[in-house]
This record gives sequence, structure tokens and C-alpha cells, in this order.
Amino acid sequence: MIDFLRRVVNTDFLPMNEVRKIKVVLIMTFLLIVTAATVGFAFSFVYDDVVTIVVMAVFVLGAGFIYLLIRFNRIMAAIHVTIVYTIALMMFYTQGTDSFYAYLFFYISLSVIVFYQELYIYLTYGTAVAGYGVFYILMHADNLLAPEDIPGSIYAYVVLLLLFYVIFLIQSLHNEKLYTDLNLEWVKLNQVIGSYQDFTLYHLEEIRKREKGIPFYEDRAFRKAVDELSVFVCEQLKEHGKDITNVLDLYIYIHERGLAKIIDNEELSTSTKKIANRLDKYLLNRRTDMVSILMNFFTRFRTSEPYRPNRYEYHLGRLAPATDEQIVALAFVYRYLANEPSAFDAWGEPLKTMSHEEICQLFAAPEMEEFLSDGQVAFFKENADLFRDHLGRKG
Amino acid sequence: MKREPVRVFPETEEYREMLEIKHLRSKNHLVIAILTAGALITILYTALAAYPLVYVLSLAVAFLALILLNLTCLAYGRENVRFNQLNKYVTTFGVFSVAVAMIFIFRSPSMLSLLFIAYAIAAFYQDRKVMFISNVSLLFTFLALMTNYRAFFAVENASAENDFGLFFFVIVFITLLTISQYIMIKQKGFFYNQIALSRETEFRNIEFMIDAGEKATKTTIDAKGYFAATEAFAAALSARIGVPDALGGKLSVLRELEAGETRETILERHPDETAASLSRLSDLLFTGCHKLRKVAIKIGRVRAVDVHRREIFSETQFKTFNHPSDTLEIKIIAFAIFYAALKRGSAGMRPLSETEIYDAIVHSDYYYYNDPGVMRIYRENNAVFDAIARDAFSAEATK
Repeated sequence: MIDFLRRVVNTDFLPMNEVRKIKVVLIMTFLLIVTAATVGFAFSFVYDDVVTIVVMAVFVLGAGFIYLLIRFNRIMAAIHVTIVYTIALMMFYTQGTDSFYAYLFFYISLSVIVFYQELYIYLTYGTAVAGYGVFYILMHADNLLAPEDIPGSIYAYVVLLLLFYVIFLIQSLHNEKLYTDLNLEWVKLNQVIGSYQDFTLYHLEEIRKREKGIPFYEDRAFRKAVDELSVFVCEQLKEHGKDITNVLDLYIYIHERGLAKIIDNEELSTSTKKIANRLDKYLLNRRTDMVSILMNFFTRFRTSEPYRPNRYEYHLGRLAPATDEQIVALAFVYRYLANEPSAFDAWGEPLKTMSHEEICQLFAAPEMEEFLSDGQVAFFKENADLFRDHLGRKG
Repeated sequence: MKREPVRVFPETEEYREMLEIKHLRSKNHLVIAILTAGALITILYTALAAYPLVYVLSLAVAFLALILLNLTCLAYGRENVRFNQLNKYVTTFGVFSVAVAMIFIFRSPSMLSLLFIAYAIAAFYQDRKVMFISNVSLLFTFLALMTNYRAFFAVENASAENDFGLFFFVIVFITLLTISQYIMIKQKGFFYNQIALSRETEFRNIEFMIDAGEKATKTTIDAKGYFAATEAFAAALSARIGVPDALGGKLSVLRELEAGETRETILERHPDETAASLSRLSDLLFTGCHKLRKVAIKIGRVRAVDVHRREIFSETQFKTFNHPSDTLEIKIIAFAIFYAALKRGSAGMRPLSETEIYDAIVHSDYYYYNDPGVMRIYRENNAVFDAIARDAFSAEATK
């Protein structure tokens, strides 16, 4: 429980699937509270006692079903079931009582639906709830009006409910766009970081070979440490801690044989292949997730230049506001691109530089907005021959 | 008592705020549009229902004041970001005030929903302080109205059950909205965190790559060659455009900065320059990890970026040791490998001490890269982890 609350408080550190899980658990808790309260209200509803008992039993079963879906990690299914459950509660109240508070269930249902922040869910379930809400208001006008109400009061109910729906629809649309844009930027950044790490890893391997160091997976001490640590943690969490050594052996074996050979091996069971496939991202002999995380983690302990507000600024126009400074910067950048390797060649060596034509193409690409102004690109195009002749490839 | 997790790179805090403010402005545009729609509907209704002119005008003025305030803050927000912050708080108070004013003018149960509309508008900002203001305003206003102005919400079929139900479900509704807002604020924070973290990671990875490359090849960048080529380029450019020195002596300043001359000496030789311009120019140096080199490195990699639609929102993009599809054994092994690798170190990556590892894992974002159970074991037994690693990597064990 404390662990769950801690995860709720630190949701901003968790990926989307974890947040979805937290949301479903919170909504399930909320629904359980409302269902418990419903027991008190239900017997004043217009239904027969038998119907009320049956419906309440269905609600309890529904809650159990949601629990099972969460337990077996079927989160999207659980989201749909919680929404259907909420709508069922709403119908139970709105059809069961003439009281004003039943009307609040339209707002409660819309809030539950919007909580999941999934546009298509809001568009389907949310629209259905809003539509039913309008129908309910028009059909049950007598229950909602005051003895001396304002003119057109019933339309005020309709407009306000629809406004609530529309405001959250706009919010969902905006969030959808915002999250997509942020995600795209993040994925692009990750790819670029990956390409730096490919180079770094190549150079670190060169250093290791020169220093006659042994790779992680061939180091007996490293294997021993991983083995003992794994068994120690496993014994704390499971009854048979030693079993984990089989998985560890498989992990080392993938380094020696390669994943493809293990997958093709007909003697190995499907479950072993499945585990091997999952372990693949943690190998240490190429840039896997494990190597990336290790590198990123390690950079924290490297000395870096102190923070300045333009730390993440890569636009030449903003780094060098004066025209002559921008020309110098552009010249240096061209020289770098034409002479320093920025990709791996066909033989897997980090030696590929860019040709003049490739640089021209690159500078004209839309991605350059992050680095160059239109004026700088125009200047480059006008003087491309000078760049090629004086700053181009050496020798 | 466990400390609150901090950002793995505290430098990213300012960038996160900048991201937040950038997107706050687009939210402001939407709030203005909704307020305008609300104003038109209200004024149209009061006019059609023949309400006294004083009511029509007072509501029109209130809406107009809110809209103008938003526009003003948007305009000044370009100069000073604090105006954007101020705007969201004042607008939140404003929408609740207008809602209460309308409840008092119309005195109809249908107007109770105006409080929810006010909450929904304020929810656009997805801000913790705004959430607090909204919650307090909604709760306080509802309780005050139900206690002192119950007649406003008296419907035809009023009953004790109805009163209790209204209280109970409004409180339930407010609780739901609060939890929902809280999680949504946090969810938005996740994206800002990840982008800010990636920016810093990129910055540091470029430096790491430069260092590793220079150590591996035992060479540094040919600064002299860069200056010579750029001087030849500058001469050809000057000849083409017909001016004596197209680059205005910047190259010689850069060359002196590169040579490590003191700023005072450079300023004496180049009176046109200032301390600020020298500081800016030092970003254009090309050796070591200077800024311009980073720009060129990044430009060189951009062509390789190719993002497919299916990669957006893909969980595999989030590099973690806590993938939901992995079994507990895999999660344990992943953490054990990670920990042992940090302890052992490798070429270009020194072994880290237990304090360094413990602090960085337990007190930062990295905590959430791991299975909660595994983290609990590490947090409670890090001395055991340390002892196991020390034993494995001790000289005798490696023999």
C-alpha cells in the first residue's frame, strides 16, 4: 500500500503503462467506494428489492473482474471495464431515482472517462454519456427544475453539460497533440544519442583492446558478482533463489552464441527462446538498452562544463548573433562535416564523412531549422563553391 | 526517512520550466477561446431572457476583464515569463468568481454546474497550485452555497435523501477531479522530465564521445587546419563581395582565444570586442568540447534520424530494467548486471564507489528504472551488495 502511494506521488518518473495501471487502480478504488455507498441509496430507488440485489451482485462481480484484469496485467481491458462499470452505475442511479444528485453522475462519468486521457475512449464513451445526459435532462426536466426557475432553465442544464464535455474534449485533443509532439521529440533525441553511443562504444572497445582488457561477459569476477547478487536478491523475493542461475547461464550463452543461433536451435524449448529474446536487450557486447543505460548513468560522474542558460542551444543564429560570427561558425561546421567522420562506413568503421552534395542536401533539409536560419542557408547556397573549394575534404 | 527523489541531472530543472512555459502559452489561447464562447452564450442568454441591463453589463464586463487580462499577460509573458504564471492563478480566481456571480444572479439549480465548468477551465493549466486554488474554491463555494443559500438549489422533489446525496456525490466528484488532476499533472511532468533528461544526456554523451575518440585515436582536432582553411575561405569571400576583410577580424580573435591568451590581452588588442562578446565567441571554438563542435557533431547525426509512427509511444523507447513483459528473474539479473558493471568499471568508465551508486540510484529518477521489489532489497541491503561486489572483484578472486 505504501509502495503504491509512493508510486502515485512519483508518477512523473513512471512510463505510460505504469501510469495507466495506477489510474485503473485508483478508479477501481473510487468505484468500490461509490458502490459501497450505493448499497445505502439503492433501496430508496424505484427498483424491486430483487432487482436491486441482483444489480448490486453484478457490481460486486464487476469489481472482482476488474481486480483480476489488473492482477493479470490486462490494463487496457480493465480501463474499458471500469468505464462500462461507471456508465452502468450512472444508468442505475438515473433510472432508479428522481433525485437531483443522480444528475451529477453525468459529470462523474465524464470525469472518470477523461481521467484516462485516451482520445478515442473519450470520443466514444464520453460522447455516449453526454448524449444520454442530454436525453435524460430533456426527459426528466421535472426532477431538475426549481419551483420558480429561470426561463429556459432546462436548456441551461443541457448547455452546461455539453460545455463540460466540450472543454474536456478540447483538453484531450490538446494533450494528445502535446504528448505526440513531445514523444516524437524524445524519440528523435534518443536516436541521436544512440548514434553518439555507437561511436563511443567503438572507441571504448579500441581502448579496451589496446589495454588488453577482457570484456565483461568473459570476466570470471564479473560473472561471479552477477551470479551472487542475482541469487541474493532472488532469495529475498522468491523461495528458490538458486533457480535464477539457469537464466544467468543463458544470458552468458547468448553472448557466446548469439541470439539468432539460439532462436534457430530446435533442441531448445520455446520458453527458453522467449527468455533469451527478452534478455537480448541487456547484453553487453553491443549497444543494447543495458549499455545505453550504463553510459548515461556513467556520464553523471564525468565532469561537465557548468550550467549556462544556452546549454541546450544548438542554433548558430542564436549562438552567434553577428553576421561575421555566423559565417565563421558556418565555415567551421562545414569543415567539420566534410572532414570528420559522422557515420559508420560499409566495413563498420567510424570513418564515413560527408560529401559536398550530401552537405548541400543536409543544409536544405527541414531538420536544419534547429541549427540554421533561412539567411544562413541562403548564404551557404550562394557561396557553396567557396565552401567546397576552401573548406572541403582535405587531400 | 527516505529522501524525495531528485532529478538525475539537476541542471535540467530550468529547461523543464522553460518547456512548461512554452506549452502554457498555447493553453492560454484555448482558455481565451473558451472564455469568449462562455461570454457570448451568457450575454446572449441574459439578453434573450430580458434580464435587467445591469446584470447583462456586469457579466459582460467580468468576462471582458478576464479575457483582456489573459491577452495582456500573454503579451507581457514574452518579456517576462512570470506574467504567464500570474495569468493562470488570476484566471482561476476569475472563472470561479464569475461562476459564483452567475449563481447569485440566476438563482437556479441548473447553475450549480457552473462550478464544474470553472474547474474544467482551470484544469487546462495542469498546475499544482492552480489545482489547489480550484479545489479550495470549488469546495468552499459549494459548502457555503449549500449551507447559506440552500434555496438556490431547491428542486421540486426535494427530500433528505436528495440533500445527503447531493452533498455526498459533490464531495465524491471533487475527490475524483483532484486525483485526476494530480495524476494528469504528473503525467505531463513525465514527458517534460524525459525530454529535459535526454537533452542533458545528449550534452554529456557528446562530451563522452569526444573524449573516448581522442583517447582511442590519441589525436585531437586539427585546429590549425581549421583556421588556415577558414582564412582561405574568408579571403575568397572578401574578394567575391569586394570588401577587404569579410569576417571583420573575428578569426584573429578566435585564434587568440584558441591559443589560450588571457581575455585582458585580447581586449587590449581588439578594442571593438567586449567581455561579453569574448564569452560568446569562445562558444565558436572548435577544440575540446566547445559548443560549436557539439553543434557540428549533432548536425552530422541528424541525417540518420528516422522515426516511424509506431515508435512514438512505444514502451521500448523507455530504457528501463522494469519492462512489464519481463519476468522477475530477468529484472533481477538486469539490475545485478548493471550494478556489477558499475562496480567493475571498464575502459573509459572508472569503477564507481558504493556511495556514488547508492545516491544516484536510490535518490534519483533511476530508482524508477527498476522493479520496486528489487529496489527495496537494494535499498535495505546495499552494504551486502557492496560486500559481494568487493569480494568478487578483489585481487585474489580475480586470480
